[in-house]
Amino acid sequence: MTPEKPTFFEKIQNVDKRILYLILIVLTTIPLFPMFSSIVLPNEPAPHSQAFYYQLMSVPEGKTVFIQSDWTLSTRGENAGHIESLLRTVMSKKLKFAIYTVADPQAPGVYRKYIQSVNAERKRAGMKEYKQWEDYVDLSYFPNAEGTLNAIGSDVRKIFNKRVKDPASGKDRLVFESPVLKDVVKVGDVGLYVVITASNSFDRTVERLSDKTKVVVMCTGVIGPSTLPFFQSGQIKGASIGLKGAVDVEYMMKYGLNYPDSTGKIKVPWSGKEELKADPVVEGMTIARGSLYFMSFHAAIALLILAVTVGNIGMFMARRKKA
Amino acid sequence: MTQSQIDLFNAIKITCGVLATLGLYSVLYKETKFFRFFEHVFLGLAAGYAIVALWKETLYPTWWLKMTGVMNEGVMAEPAYWVYIILLPIGLLGYFVFSKKHNWLSRIPIGIILGLWAGQQVQIWWQTNGPQIYSSMQPVIPTETTSFFKPITTGAGFTPERIAEINAQIWPSQAINNFIFVVTLLAAFTYFVYSIELKTPVLKGFNKLGRWMLMIGFGAIFGSTVMARFALVIDRMYYLWFEWLESIMRVFGR
Repeated sequence: MTPEKPTFFEKIQNVDKRILYLILIVLTTIPLFPMFSSIVLPNEPAPHSQAFYYQLMSVPEGKTVFIQSDWTLSTRGENAGHIESLLRTVMSKKLKFAIYTVADPQAPGVYRKYIQSVNAERKRAGMKEYKQWEDYVDLSYFPNAEGTLNAIGSDVRKIFNKRVKDPASGKDRLVFESPVLKDVVKVGDVGLYVVITASNSFDRTVERLSDKTKVVVMCTGVIGPSTLPFFQSGQIKGASIGLKGAVDVEYMMKYGLNYPDSTGKIKVPWSGKEELKADPVVEGMTIARGSLYFMSFHAAIALLILAVTVGNIGMFMARRKKA
Repeated sequence: MTQSQIDLFNAIKITCGVLATLGLYSVLYKETKFFRFFEHVFLGLAAGYAIVALWKETLYPTWWLKMTGVMNEGVMAEPAYWVYIILLPIGLLGYFVFSKKHNWLSRIPIGIILGLWAGQQVQIWWQTNGPQIYSSMQPVIPTETTSFFKPITTGAGFTPERIAEINAQIWPSQAINNFIFVVTLLAAFTYFVYSIELKTPVLKGFNKLGRWMLMIGFGAIFGSTVMARFALVIDRMYYLWFEWLESIMRVFGR
Protein backbone atom coordinates (compact mmCIF):
# COMPACT_ATOMS: atom_id res chain seq x y z
CA MET A 1 0.00 0.00 0.00
CA THR A 2 1.55 3.33 -1.04
CA PRO A 3 1.48 6.15 1.54
CA GLU A 4 -1.08 8.86 0.89
CA LYS A 5 0.37 11.91 -0.84
CA PRO A 6 0.30 14.99 1.43
CA THR A 7 -2.16 17.64 0.33
CA PHE A 8 -1.19 21.27 -0.38
CA PHE A 9 -2.48 22.35 3.05
CA GLU A 10 -0.47 19.66 4.81
CA LYS A 11 2.61 20.69 2.84
CA ILE A 12 2.39 24.34 3.88
CA GLN A 13 2.26 23.28 7.51
CA ASN A 14 5.54 21.45 7.13
CA VAL A 15 7.77 23.83 5.18
CA ASP A 16 11.41 22.79 5.67
CA LYS A 17 12.84 25.00 8.43
CA ARG A 18 16.03 25.47 6.38
CA ILE A 19 13.99 27.21 3.68
CA LEU A 20 12.53 29.52 6.33
CA TYR A 21 16.03 30.28 7.66
CA LEU A 22 17.20 31.06 4.13
CA ILE A 23 14.26 33.45 3.56
CA LEU A 24 15.02 35.06 6.94
CA ILE A 25 18.67 35.60 5.98
CA VAL A 26 17.71 37.18 2.66
CA LEU A 27 14.96 39.34 4.17
CA THR A 28 17.13 40.63 7.00
CA THR A 29 20.17 41.29 4.80
CA ILE A 30 18.63 43.23 1.90
CA PRO A 31 17.43 46.22 4.02
CA LEU A 32 20.97 46.64 5.37
CA PHE A 33 22.31 47.63 1.94
CA PRO A 34 23.16 51.34 1.57
CA MET A 35 20.22 52.11 -0.76
CA PHE A 36 17.78 51.10 2.02
CA SER A 37 19.81 51.93 5.11
CA SER A 38 19.39 55.69 4.63
CA ILE A 39 15.59 55.39 4.92
CA VAL A 40 14.37 56.48 8.36
CA LEU A 41 11.12 54.71 9.16
CA PRO A 42 8.45 56.72 10.98
CA ASN A 43 8.48 55.94 14.67
CA GLU A 44 6.52 56.73 17.78
CA PRO A 45 8.77 56.42 20.84
CA ALA A 46 7.30 54.47 23.74
CA PRO A 47 6.53 56.38 26.98
CA HIS A 48 9.31 54.60 28.89
CA SER A 49 11.82 55.53 26.13
CA GLN A 50 10.62 59.13 26.28
CA ALA A 51 11.12 59.18 30.05
CA PHE A 52 14.61 57.71 29.56
CA TYR A 53 15.61 60.38 27.06
CA TYR A 54 14.16 63.16 29.20
CA GLN A 55 16.12 62.01 32.25
CA LEU A 56 19.34 61.78 30.26
CA MET A 57 18.92 65.21 28.70
CA SER A 58 18.01 66.74 32.08
CA VAL A 59 21.43 66.04 33.60
CA PRO A 60 23.26 69.38 33.88
CA GLU A 61 26.39 69.85 31.76
CA GLY A 62 29.61 68.79 33.47
CA LYS A 63 27.84 66.48 35.91
CA THR A 64 28.92 62.84 36.30
CA VAL A 65 26.78 59.85 35.35
CA PHE A 66 27.44 56.26 36.36
CA ILE A 67 27.17 53.65 33.59
CA GLN A 68 26.84 50.03 34.69
CA SER A 69 27.50 48.15 31.44
CA ASP A 70 26.58 44.50 32.05
CA TRP A 71 26.49 43.06 28.55
CA THR A 72 28.79 41.26 26.15
CA LEU A 73 28.88 40.65 22.40
CA SER A 74 26.21 37.94 22.51
CA THR A 75 23.57 40.71 22.68
CA ARG A 76 25.35 43.18 20.41
CA GLY A 77 22.27 43.43 18.16
CA GLU A 78 20.41 45.34 20.86
CA ASN A 79 22.92 46.60 23.42
CA ALA A 80 25.41 48.04 20.90
CA GLY A 81 22.72 50.46 19.69
CA HIS A 82 22.06 51.34 23.34
CA ILE A 83 25.64 52.08 24.37
CA GLU A 84 26.46 53.97 21.18
CA SER A 85 23.45 56.28 21.48
CA LEU A 86 24.14 56.75 25.20
CA LEU A 87 27.81 57.61 24.69
CA ARG A 88 27.02 59.98 21.81
CA THR A 89 24.46 61.80 23.96
CA VAL A 90 26.69 61.91 27.04
CA MET A 91 29.65 63.21 25.01
CA SER A 92 27.51 65.72 23.14
CA LYS A 93 26.16 67.07 26.45
CA LYS A 94 29.72 67.19 27.86
CA LEU A 95 28.82 64.98 30.79
CA LYS A 96 31.51 63.05 32.65
CA PHE A 97 31.04 59.37 33.27
CA ALA A 98 32.33 56.45 35.32
CA ILE A 99 31.83 53.09 33.63
CA TYR A 100 32.07 49.58 35.10
CA THR A 101 30.36 46.21 35.23
CA VAL A 102 29.08 44.02 38.03
CA ALA A 103 28.03 41.10 35.83
CA ASP A 104 30.66 39.72 33.48
CA PRO A 105 34.47 39.86 33.27
CA GLN A 106 34.16 40.12 29.47
CA ALA A 107 32.03 43.27 29.66
CA PRO A 108 34.89 45.82 30.16
CA GLY A 109 36.54 44.69 26.91
CA VAL A 110 33.26 45.27 25.11
CA TYR A 111 32.44 48.74 26.48
CA ARG A 112 36.04 49.88 25.91
CA LYS A 113 35.65 48.99 22.23
CA TYR A 114 32.58 51.23 21.97
CA ILE A 115 34.16 54.15 23.85
CA GLN A 116 37.04 53.86 21.40
CA SER A 117 34.79 53.72 18.31
CA VAL A 118 32.57 56.66 19.38
CA ASN A 119 35.74 58.63 20.18
CA ALA A 120 37.15 57.78 16.72
CA GLU A 121 33.88 58.93 15.17
CA ARG A 122 34.15 62.25 17.06
CA LYS A 123 37.77 62.67 15.99
CA ARG A 124 36.82 62.16 12.33
CA ALA A 125 34.08 64.80 12.70
CA GLY A 126 36.55 67.25 14.29
CA MET A 127 34.95 67.08 17.76
CA LYS A 128 36.70 66.79 21.12
CA GLU A 129 37.73 63.25 22.06
CA TYR A 130 36.85 61.94 25.53
CA LYS A 131 39.91 61.23 27.67
CA GLN A 132 40.31 58.82 30.55
CA TRP A 133 40.78 60.65 33.89
CA GLU A 134 39.73 64.04 32.54
CA ASP A 135 36.32 63.09 31.07
CA TYR A 136 35.66 59.53 32.12
CA VAL A 137 37.05 56.77 34.33
CA ASP A 138 37.00 53.10 33.50
CA LEU A 139 36.53 51.17 36.75
CA SER A 140 36.40 47.76 35.10
CA TYR A 141 34.85 44.67 36.67
CA PHE A 142 33.45 44.11 40.16
CA PRO A 143 32.41 40.53 40.97
CA ASN A 144 29.42 39.74 43.19
CA ALA A 145 26.76 42.14 41.92
CA GLU A 146 24.78 42.04 45.18
CA GLY A 147 27.72 42.91 47.42
CA THR A 148 29.11 45.51 45.03
CA LEU A 149 25.80 47.31 44.58
CA ASN A 150 25.17 47.26 48.31
CA ALA A 151 28.56 48.84 48.81
CA ILE A 152 27.91 51.46 46.09
CA GLY A 153 24.75 52.39 48.00
CA SER A 154 26.43 52.61 51.39
CA ASP A 155 29.94 53.93 50.62
CA VAL A 156 30.79 54.57 46.98
CA ARG A 157 34.26 55.89 47.85
CA LYS A 158 35.23 52.63 49.49
CA ILE A 159 34.10 50.29 46.69
CA PHE A 160 35.52 52.40 43.84
CA ASN A 161 38.86 52.68 45.62
CA LYS A 162 40.85 51.94 42.45
CA ARG A 163 43.72 53.63 40.67
CA VAL A 164 43.90 54.75 37.07
CA LYS A 165 46.65 56.50 35.15
CA ASP A 166 46.56 60.30 35.20
CA PRO A 167 47.96 61.22 31.75
CA ALA A 168 49.25 64.61 33.02
CA SER A 169 51.56 63.14 35.67
CA GLY A 170 51.85 59.63 34.19
CA LYS A 171 51.19 58.22 37.69
CA ASP A 172 48.50 55.84 38.90
CA ARG A 173 46.20 57.92 41.07
CA LEU A 174 43.07 57.19 43.08
CA VAL A 175 39.98 57.63 40.89
CA PHE A 176 38.35 59.96 43.41
CA GLU A 177 41.11 62.50 42.74
CA SER A 178 39.99 62.66 39.09
CA PRO A 179 37.78 65.50 37.79
CA VAL A 180 35.13 62.85 37.09
CA LEU A 181 34.66 61.62 40.64
CA LYS A 182 36.10 64.35 42.86
CA ASP A 183 32.63 65.72 43.72
CA VAL A 184 30.98 62.33 44.18
CA VAL A 185 30.77 61.46 47.87
CA LYS A 186 27.67 59.27 47.70
CA VAL A 187 25.81 57.62 44.83
CA GLY A 188 23.06 60.24 45.10
CA ASP A 189 25.56 62.87 43.91
CA VAL A 190 25.59 61.51 40.35
CA GLY A 191 23.33 63.00 37.72
CA LEU A 192 21.98 59.66 36.55
CA TYR A 193 22.66 55.95 37.04
CA VAL A 194 22.36 54.10 33.71
CA VAL A 195 22.27 50.30 33.57
CA ILE A 196 22.91 48.68 30.18
CA THR A 197 22.18 45.03 30.57
CA ALA A 198 21.23 41.73 29.00
CA SER A 199 20.57 39.99 32.30
CA ASN A 200 18.78 40.41 35.60
CA SER A 201 21.75 42.32 37.07
CA PHE A 202 19.37 45.23 36.63
CA ASP A 203 17.03 43.81 39.32
CA ARG A 204 19.93 43.82 41.78
CA THR A 205 20.51 47.51 41.00
CA VAL A 206 16.88 48.48 41.51
CA GLU A 207 16.72 46.55 44.78
CA ARG A 208 19.74 48.31 46.21
CA LEU A 209 20.00 51.74 44.61
CA SER A 210 16.62 52.91 43.35
CA ASP A 211 15.91 54.84 46.58
CA LYS A 212 19.34 56.47 46.57
CA THR A 213 19.70 57.78 43.03
CA LYS A 214 17.84 58.12 39.71
CA VAL A 215 18.12 54.78 37.91
CA VAL A 216 17.34 54.27 34.21
CA VAL A 217 17.86 51.15 32.13
CA MET A 218 18.76 50.10 28.58
CA CYS A 219 18.05 46.41 28.25
CA THR A 220 17.33 43.60 25.81
CA GLY A 221 13.82 42.65 24.73
CA VAL A 222 14.12 39.40 26.70
CA ILE A 223 14.19 41.11 30.07
CA GLY A 224 12.31 44.22 28.93
CA PRO A 225 8.86 43.12 30.17
CA SER A 226 10.21 42.56 33.70
CA THR A 227 11.47 46.16 33.85
CA LEU A 228 8.08 47.73 33.14
CA PRO A 229 6.56 47.16 36.62
CA PHE A 230 9.59 49.03 38.02
CA PHE A 231 8.89 51.90 35.62
CA GLN A 232 5.21 52.01 36.52
CA SER A 233 6.05 52.13 40.23
CA GLY A 234 8.63 54.88 39.72
CA GLN A 235 11.56 52.74 40.91
CA ILE A 236 13.24 53.41 37.58
CA LYS A 237 12.80 56.70 35.81
CA GLY A 238 12.97 55.45 32.23
CA ALA A 239 13.74 52.42 30.07
CA SER A 240 15.03 51.84 26.56
CA ILE A 241 13.99 48.29 25.73
CA GLY A 242 15.39 46.17 22.93
CA LEU A 243 16.07 47.31 19.39
CA LYS A 244 12.92 49.45 19.42
CA GLY A 245 14.30 51.24 22.50
CA ALA A 246 17.56 51.98 20.65
CA VAL A 247 15.58 53.31 17.68
CA ASP A 248 13.44 55.44 20.02
CA VAL A 249 16.49 57.06 21.61
CA GLU A 250 18.13 57.72 18.22
CA TYR A 251 14.88 59.22 16.94
CA MET A 252 14.65 61.58 19.93
CA MET A 253 18.34 62.43 19.58
CA LYS A 254 17.44 63.71 16.11
CA TYR A 255 14.05 65.31 16.78
CA GLY A 256 14.04 66.04 20.53
CA LEU A 257 11.11 65.46 22.85
CA ASN A 258 8.21 67.93 22.90
CA TYR A 259 10.60 69.99 20.85
CA PRO A 260 9.15 72.21 18.10
CA ASP A 261 11.01 72.27 14.77
CA SER A 262 11.51 75.42 12.66
CA THR A 263 7.85 75.26 11.53
CA GLY A 264 6.64 74.91 15.13
CA LYS A 265 5.63 71.28 14.65
CA ILE A 266 6.44 68.82 17.42
CA LYS A 267 7.71 65.57 15.89
CA VAL A 268 7.82 63.60 19.17
CA PRO A 269 5.08 64.74 21.56
CA TRP A 270 5.08 63.31 25.09
CA SER A 271 1.49 62.59 25.98
CA GLY A 272 0.60 63.68 29.50
CA LYS A 273 3.93 65.45 30.01
CA GLU A 274 3.50 68.37 27.65
CA GLU A 275 5.20 70.74 30.08
CA LEU A 276 8.50 68.84 29.89
CA LYS A 277 10.92 69.23 27.01
CA ALA A 278 14.21 67.70 25.86
CA ASP A 279 16.35 69.14 23.08
CA PRO A 280 17.78 67.09 20.22
CA VAL A 281 21.46 66.16 20.37
CA VAL A 282 23.44 69.03 18.88
CA GLU A 283 26.62 67.34 17.64
CA GLY A 284 27.69 63.99 16.26
CA MET A 285 25.62 61.15 14.87
CA THR A 286 22.00 60.64 15.89
CA ILE A 287 20.33 58.14 13.56
CA ALA A 288 22.68 55.15 13.54
CA ARG A 289 22.82 51.42 14.27
CA GLY A 290 19.33 50.99 15.79
CA SER A 291 17.62 52.69 12.86
CA LEU A 292 19.82 50.80 10.37
CA TYR A 293 18.49 47.49 11.72
CA PHE A 294 14.89 48.68 12.02
CA MET A 295 13.75 47.87 8.48
CA SER A 296 15.28 44.36 8.65
CA PHE A 297 13.47 43.99 11.95
CA HIS A 298 10.14 44.77 10.30
CA ALA A 299 10.90 42.32 7.47
CA ALA A 300 11.67 39.56 10.01
CA ILE A 301 8.47 40.21 11.95
CA ALA A 302 6.47 40.23 8.69
CA LEU A 303 7.96 36.81 7.83
CA LEU A 304 7.05 35.50 11.28
CA ILE A 305 3.45 36.71 11.01
CA LEU A 306 3.18 35.28 7.50
CA ALA A 307 4.59 31.89 8.53
CA VAL A 308 2.25 31.64 11.55
CA THR A 309 -0.76 32.69 9.46
CA VAL A 310 0.01 30.31 6.58
CA GLY A 311 0.65 27.42 8.99
CA ASN A 312 -2.64 28.03 10.80
CA ILE A 313 -4.65 28.36 7.57
CA GLY A 314 -3.06 25.10 6.38
CA MET A 315 -3.98 23.35 9.63
CA PHE A 316 -7.54 24.71 9.56
CA MET A 317 -8.10 23.73 5.90
CA ALA A 318 -6.48 20.29 6.28
CA ARG A 319 -8.72 19.49 9.28
CA ARG A 320 -11.78 20.74 7.44
CA LYS A 321 -10.95 18.58 4.44
CA LYS A 322 -10.48 15.49 6.62
CA ALA A 323 -13.76 16.14 8.42
CA MET B 1 52.30 49.31 13.42
CA THR B 2 51.53 50.69 9.98
CA GLN B 3 47.94 51.27 8.84
CA SER B 4 48.10 48.33 6.41
CA GLN B 5 49.25 46.03 9.24
CA ILE B 6 46.38 47.25 11.44
CA ASP B 7 43.94 46.62 8.58
CA LEU B 8 45.35 43.12 8.02
CA PHE B 9 45.15 42.28 11.71
CA ASN B 10 41.59 43.59 11.82
CA ALA B 11 40.60 41.53 8.76
CA ILE B 12 42.07 38.35 10.30
CA LYS B 13 40.25 39.04 13.56
CA ILE B 14 36.89 39.59 11.85
CA THR B 15 37.41 36.55 9.59
CA CYS B 16 37.90 34.39 12.70
CA GLY B 17 34.63 35.85 14.02
CA VAL B 18 32.90 35.06 10.73
CA LEU B 19 34.13 31.44 10.77
CA ALA B 20 32.95 31.06 14.38
CA THR B 21 29.55 32.56 13.52
CA LEU B 22 29.13 30.23 10.53
CA GLY B 23 30.29 27.29 12.65
CA LEU B 24 27.72 27.96 15.35
CA TYR B 25 24.94 28.74 12.85
CA SER B 26 25.64 25.47 11.02
CA VAL B 27 23.55 23.76 13.71
CA LEU B 28 20.52 25.21 11.91
CA TYR B 29 21.31 22.79 9.10
CA LYS B 30 22.26 19.90 11.38
CA GLU B 31 24.62 19.14 14.23
CA THR B 32 28.06 18.42 12.83
CA LYS B 33 31.67 18.21 14.04
CA PHE B 34 32.16 21.69 12.58
CA PHE B 35 29.54 23.03 15.01
CA ARG B 36 30.94 21.01 17.93
CA PHE B 37 34.44 22.35 17.30
CA PHE B 38 33.34 25.97 17.47
CA GLU B 39 31.12 25.28 20.45
CA HIS B 40 34.13 23.97 22.39
CA VAL B 41 36.34 26.82 21.19
CA PHE B 42 33.73 29.28 22.44
CA LEU B 43 33.43 27.62 25.86
CA GLY B 44 37.20 27.33 26.26
CA LEU B 45 37.80 30.95 25.31
CA ALA B 46 35.08 32.24 27.64
CA ALA B 47 36.43 30.22 30.58
CA GLY B 48 40.05 31.17 29.91
CA TYR B 49 39.26 34.84 29.42
CA ALA B 50 37.20 34.91 32.63
CA ILE B 51 40.10 33.54 34.71
CA VAL B 52 42.58 36.12 33.39
CA ALA B 53 40.06 38.97 33.64
CA LEU B 54 39.15 37.97 37.19
CA TRP B 55 42.77 38.25 38.30
CA LYS B 56 43.69 41.31 36.25
CA GLU B 57 40.55 43.37 36.74
CA THR B 58 39.49 42.30 40.21
CA LEU B 59 41.72 40.22 42.43
CA TYR B 60 44.91 42.10 41.63
CA PRO B 61 43.62 45.69 42.22
CA THR B 62 41.08 45.00 44.97
CA TRP B 63 42.77 42.20 46.91
CA TRP B 64 46.47 41.81 46.06
CA LEU B 65 47.33 45.52 46.01
CA LYS B 66 45.33 46.13 49.19
CA MET B 67 47.25 43.31 50.88
CA THR B 68 50.71 44.25 49.62
CA GLY B 69 50.26 48.03 49.49
CA VAL B 70 51.02 50.42 46.62
CA MET B 71 54.39 51.99 46.00
CA ASN B 72 54.55 55.08 43.78
CA GLU B 73 58.07 56.18 42.76
CA GLY B 74 59.58 54.66 45.89
CA VAL B 75 56.99 56.24 48.17
CA MET B 76 54.34 54.20 49.98
CA ALA B 77 51.15 55.55 48.36
CA GLU B 78 48.85 53.10 50.12
CA PRO B 79 49.68 51.03 53.21
CA ALA B 80 49.57 47.24 53.12
CA TYR B 81 46.75 45.51 55.01
CA TRP B 82 48.07 42.00 55.59
CA VAL B 83 44.79 41.02 57.22
CA TYR B 84 43.46 40.52 53.69
CA ILE B 85 45.47 37.26 53.58
CA ILE B 86 42.72 35.63 55.70
CA LEU B 87 40.40 35.75 52.69
CA LEU B 88 42.56 33.32 50.72
CA PRO B 89 42.26 30.23 52.99
CA ILE B 90 38.55 30.95 53.52
CA GLY B 91 38.03 30.99 49.76
CA LEU B 92 40.17 27.91 49.19
CA LEU B 93 38.06 25.96 51.69
CA GLY B 94 35.40 25.94 48.95
CA TYR B 95 37.51 23.45 46.97
CA PHE B 96 37.11 20.82 49.72
CA VAL B 97 33.79 20.08 48.08
CA PHE B 98 35.79 17.61 45.95
CA SER B 99 37.05 15.70 49.02
CA LYS B 100 34.81 12.97 50.42
CA LYS B 101 36.48 13.09 53.83
CA HIS B 102 36.73 16.84 54.34
CA ASN B 103 33.91 18.24 52.25
CA TRP B 104 32.28 19.66 55.39
CA LEU B 105 34.96 22.37 55.26
CA SER B 106 33.48 23.70 52.02
CA ARG B 107 30.34 24.60 53.96
CA ILE B 108 32.21 27.37 55.81
CA PRO B 109 32.54 29.77 52.82
CA ILE B 110 29.12 28.66 51.56
CA GLY B 111 27.65 29.45 55.00
CA ILE B 112 29.25 32.90 54.99
CA ILE B 113 27.83 33.62 51.52
CA LEU B 114 24.38 32.33 52.50
CA GLY B 115 24.38 34.39 55.68
CA LEU B 116 25.30 37.55 53.81
CA TRP B 117 22.70 36.80 51.14
CA ALA B 118 19.93 36.13 53.65
CA GLY B 119 20.72 39.33 55.54
CA GLN B 120 20.57 41.35 52.34
CA GLN B 121 17.26 39.80 51.31
CA VAL B 122 15.57 41.01 54.50
CA GLN B 123 16.86 44.49 53.77
CA ILE B 124 15.90 44.60 50.08
CA TRP B 125 12.52 42.89 50.11
CA TRP B 126 10.57 46.01 50.86
CA GLN B 127 12.79 48.09 48.62
CA THR B 128 11.81 45.86 45.67
CA ASN B 129 8.16 45.15 46.39
CA GLY B 130 7.00 48.05 48.54
CA PRO B 131 6.81 50.69 45.80
CA GLN B 132 5.08 48.20 43.48
CA ILE B 133 2.42 47.39 46.07
CA TYR B 134 1.91 51.11 46.65
CA SER B 135 1.67 51.90 42.93
CA SER B 136 -0.89 49.11 42.44
CA MET B 137 -3.44 51.06 44.53
CA GLN B 138 -4.85 52.99 41.60
CA PRO B 139 -7.91 55.25 41.66
CA VAL B 140 -10.85 53.85 39.68
CA ILE B 141 -13.27 56.75 40.19
CA PRO B 142 -12.82 59.77 37.90
CA THR B 143 -12.30 63.15 39.55
CA GLU B 144 -13.06 65.14 36.38
CA THR B 145 -15.99 64.35 34.08
CA THR B 146 -16.23 67.35 31.78
CA SER B 147 -14.59 65.26 29.05
CA PHE B 148 -14.19 61.48 28.60
CA PHE B 149 -10.59 61.77 27.46
CA LYS B 150 -7.92 63.93 29.00
CA PRO B 151 -7.71 67.13 26.91
CA ILE B 152 -4.72 67.39 24.57
CA THR B 153 -2.51 70.13 25.91
CA THR B 154 0.25 70.11 23.27
CA GLY B 155 0.21 73.40 21.42
CA ALA B 156 -3.13 74.36 23.03
CA GLY B 157 -1.69 77.49 24.61
CA PHE B 158 -2.42 76.44 28.20
CA THR B 159 -0.31 77.86 30.99
CA PRO B 160 2.04 75.40 32.77
CA GLU B 161 -0.21 75.65 35.86
CA ARG B 162 -3.30 74.70 33.84
CA ILE B 163 -1.42 71.76 32.23
CA ALA B 164 -0.34 70.56 35.69
CA GLU B 165 -3.95 70.89 36.88
CA ILE B 166 -5.25 68.83 33.93
CA ASN B 167 -2.61 66.16 34.48
CA ALA B 168 -3.44 65.92 38.19
CA GLN B 169 -7.07 64.88 37.50
CA ILE B 170 -8.38 61.36 36.87
CA TRP B 171 -10.27 61.46 33.59
CA PRO B 172 -12.89 58.76 32.82
CA SER B 173 -10.68 57.06 30.18
CA GLN B 174 -7.84 56.85 32.72
CA ALA B 175 -10.24 55.53 35.38
CA ILE B 176 -11.24 52.71 32.99
CA ASN B 177 -7.57 51.88 32.37
CA ASN B 178 -6.96 51.80 36.11
CA PHE B 179 -10.01 49.60 36.62
CA ILE B 180 -8.70 47.09 34.04
CA PHE B 181 -5.34 47.13 35.83
CA VAL B 182 -6.87 46.50 39.26
CA VAL B 183 -9.17 43.71 37.97
CA THR B 184 -6.22 42.04 36.20
CA LEU B 185 -4.11 42.28 39.35
CA LEU B 186 -6.79 40.75 41.58
CA ALA B 187 -7.68 38.05 39.03
CA ALA B 188 -4.02 37.04 38.69
CA PHE B 189 -3.81 36.88 42.50
CA THR B 190 -6.81 34.56 42.73
CA TYR B 191 -5.12 32.16 40.31
CA PHE B 192 -2.49 31.58 43.00
CA VAL B 193 -5.00 30.84 45.76
CA TYR B 194 -4.33 27.16 46.43
CA SER B 195 -5.21 26.81 50.11
CA ILE B 196 -8.99 27.18 49.80
CA GLU B 197 -11.36 25.62 47.31
CA LEU B 198 -13.02 28.14 45.02
CA LYS B 199 -16.64 26.96 45.02
CA THR B 200 -18.84 29.77 43.79
CA PRO B 201 -19.17 30.45 40.02
CA VAL B 202 -18.03 34.05 40.58
CA LEU B 203 -14.77 32.99 42.22
CA LYS B 204 -14.21 30.24 39.66
CA GLY B 205 -14.81 32.69 36.82
CA PHE B 206 -12.45 35.22 38.42
CA ASN B 207 -9.84 32.50 38.76
CA LYS B 208 -10.26 31.63 35.08
CA LEU B 209 -9.94 35.29 34.13
CA GLY B 210 -6.66 35.36 36.09
CA ARG B 211 -5.40 32.40 34.10
CA TRP B 212 -6.29 34.12 30.82
CA MET B 213 -4.57 37.31 31.87
CA LEU B 214 -1.44 35.40 32.82
CA MET B 215 -1.49 33.64 29.44
CA ILE B 216 -1.79 36.99 27.63
CA GLY B 217 1.11 38.28 29.73
CA PHE B 218 3.26 35.26 28.90
CA GLY B 219 2.39 35.69 25.21
CA ALA B 220 3.55 39.32 25.31
CA ILE B 221 6.78 38.33 27.07
CA PHE B 222 7.40 35.58 24.50
CA GLY B 223 6.77 38.06 21.67
CA SER B 224 9.32 40.43 23.16
CA THR B 225 11.83 37.57 23.43
CA VAL B 226 11.31 36.58 19.78
CA MET B 227 11.87 40.19 18.69
CA ALA B 228 15.08 40.26 20.72
CA ARG B 229 16.33 37.16 18.89
CA PHE B 230 15.53 38.77 15.54
CA ALA B 231 17.65 41.77 16.50
CA LEU B 232 20.56 39.42 17.20
CA VAL B 233 20.19 37.68 13.83
CA ILE B 234 20.11 41.02 12.01
CA ASP B 235 23.28 42.10 13.78
CA ARG B 236 25.04 38.87 12.78
CA MET B 237 23.99 39.43 9.17
CA TYR B 238 25.46 42.91 9.35
CA TYR B 239 28.69 41.46 10.74
CA LEU B 240 28.87 38.73 8.07
CA TRP B 241 27.97 40.80 5.04
CA PHE B 242 29.23 44.27 5.81
CA GLU B 243 31.84 44.44 8.58
CA TRP B 244 33.70 41.45 7.19
CA LEU B 245 33.63 42.55 3.54
CA GLU B 246 34.63 46.08 4.55
CA SER B 247 37.64 44.76 6.47
CA ILE B 248 38.70 42.59 3.50
CA MET B 249 38.32 45.48 1.04
CA ARG B 250 40.46 47.68 3.30
CA VAL B 251 43.28 45.15 3.10
CA PHE B 252 43.13 45.28 -0.68
CA GLY B 253 43.12 49.06 -0.56
CA ARG B 254 39.58 49.76 -1.74
